[in-house]
Amino acid sequence: MSESKKVLIIDDDRDFVNAIESLLQDSGYQVRSAFNGREGLHLAKTLRPDLILLDVMMTERTEGFFMLQEARRIPELRQTPVIVISSIYADQPIFRVSPEAGWLPANLFLPKPLDPARLLAEVRRLTDATCSPVTQAAGGRRES
Amino acid sequence: MASQNPTDSTLPEKNLILVIDDDEIMRLSCEQILCKAGCRVETFGKGHDGIRRLREVRPSLLLVDIKMPELDGFEVINIVRKLDPDLVIVVITGYATIETAVDAMKAGAYDFLPKPFTPSELRMIVNRGIERWHLIKETQRLRREKEEVERRFITLVSHQLKTPLIAVKQYLDVMFFSLQSQLPEKAVEWITRSQVRLGEMLALIQDWLALSKIDRGCYCDRTANTNLSTIVDDIIQDQRQLPSAAALTFSVALPPGLPPVKGDRVSIGMLVSNLIGNAIKYNRPGGSVSIRAISGEKGVTLEISDTGIGIPEECIPQLFQEFYRVQTKQTQDIPGTGLGLVICNRIVTELGGSIEIRSREGQGTAILVNLPVAELQAEAQLGAALEAKSGESK
Repeated sequence: MSESKKVLIIDDDRDFVNAIESLLQDSGYQVRSAFNGREGLHLAKTLRPDLILLDVMMTERTEGFFMLQEARRIPELRQTPVIVISSIYADQPIFRVSPEAGWLPANLFLPKPLDPARLLAEVRRLTDATCSPVTQAAGGRRES
Repeated sequence: MASQNPTDSTLPEKNLILVIDDDEIMRLSCEQILCKAGCRVETFGKGHDGIRRLREVRPSLLLVDIKMPELDGFEVINIVRKLDPDLVIVVITGYATIETAVDAMKAGAYDFLPKPFTPSELRMIVNRGIERWHLIKETQRLRREKEEVERRFITLVSHQLKTPLIAVKQYLDVMFFSLQSQLPEKAVEWITRSQVRLGEMLALIQDWLALSKIDRGCYCDRTANTNLSTIVDDIIQDQRQLPSAAALTFSVALPPGLPPVKGDRVSIGMLVSNLIGNAIKYNRPGGSVSIRAISGEKGVTLEISDTGIGIPEECIPQLFQEFYRVQTKQTQDIPGTGLGLVICNRIVTELGGSIEIRSREGQGTAILVNLPVAELQAEAQLGAALEAKSGESK
């Protein structure tokens, strides 16, 4: 089990964060949250989470993209699994299929609202992996 | 434009004017007068030379003589119109008849200057032409700006609409997942209904956003090309995991070497996933979904057919109407926005293809989508064909 795994949620909607935080805590994760990219990056550096849940469209529109690119330049965050969550691309089925890797170095893309069972399964899978599957070329894992 | 306040003697600076005239004296005097007035002037004695230059620069105005050897003024206008539709053309001629003037205007000239003319007449007419050019450019800029504002507005509004719905649905989803066993039966039932209704609302916003993007011409990229086989495989993998697809069999028959079709991955993905989604939604337990494609002279035809409930004949013509949904006992519990096929139809139309619905109530539905082959591919094929031909003739 993953009792002591740390998950960082970065999303500007406090209600959304509240719901997901509760779900993850009930499953034994330590959860911290940040409400913008800057705060999130700072927390990520100090907390060294086992996984980051990151919303792409925060107050500054596409803040999440930049935060993620920035995080990948920091050695200790380079391998941290990241699940990008968003409602903007939920209308584009391709994003549900395979997230583009080159410009979005995330491990997975999940549309909002999140399916609780699916989220827990993916968080477990990504935090249990001994080494993170993110590489420069193959950041986008297939969801299936 | 108004700030430049062009008057008879001073023309807005940096306006590039091209003069095409076979008469050297005419070229020199035009250059002198217009340079003095603050314009940049380039002159050409032959139509071809002027046109060649027009492929490199974007002047505000073209002065062109009608009667020239080789390429005459009318021919120059015809070519120039295609190169730069916004360029203001003023025709110069020694044969100042009403007929020539009318002909020049019909061909796309903005104004007409009869020879001989005074420096002041030339400046006045050039001035008017340049004003016109600035007006065209300003109008275009404002239109682009307006479109951009509208586009952003739609995206932003849909985001603002979705955000609270997502928060509410997320609470319900987590509550249902974590506390289901502790909730009274009625609460479970009502939460489930609320989740369904919120899901419908979110789907509606999503579809509405896609539709307004398509209508604004900022959804489909006609210059991109997409490999249908990959898209179909990805979407099948994705959708067959849906609970409603569990009791269905899928068969995919896409021939190897299918040429890429015109359109970007997102548009084609939206199209294919909507059609496969419908084939799953309106199916029956134990039914099947089959996807085939053939490549022909008129592009690639993708056929998505199901052995589902089918569509009553009288409903088929209305399927591409916004928010139309077939109302029968079998469809009443199937969620849908009534925009899916509308979106498909608009995407296909945008990409220059066609869509056809064949259905028999109680037996199933087949949707045939014809998509043009990507241009690059078409060119390459043409090139290969030509090469083969020249090989034969050798």
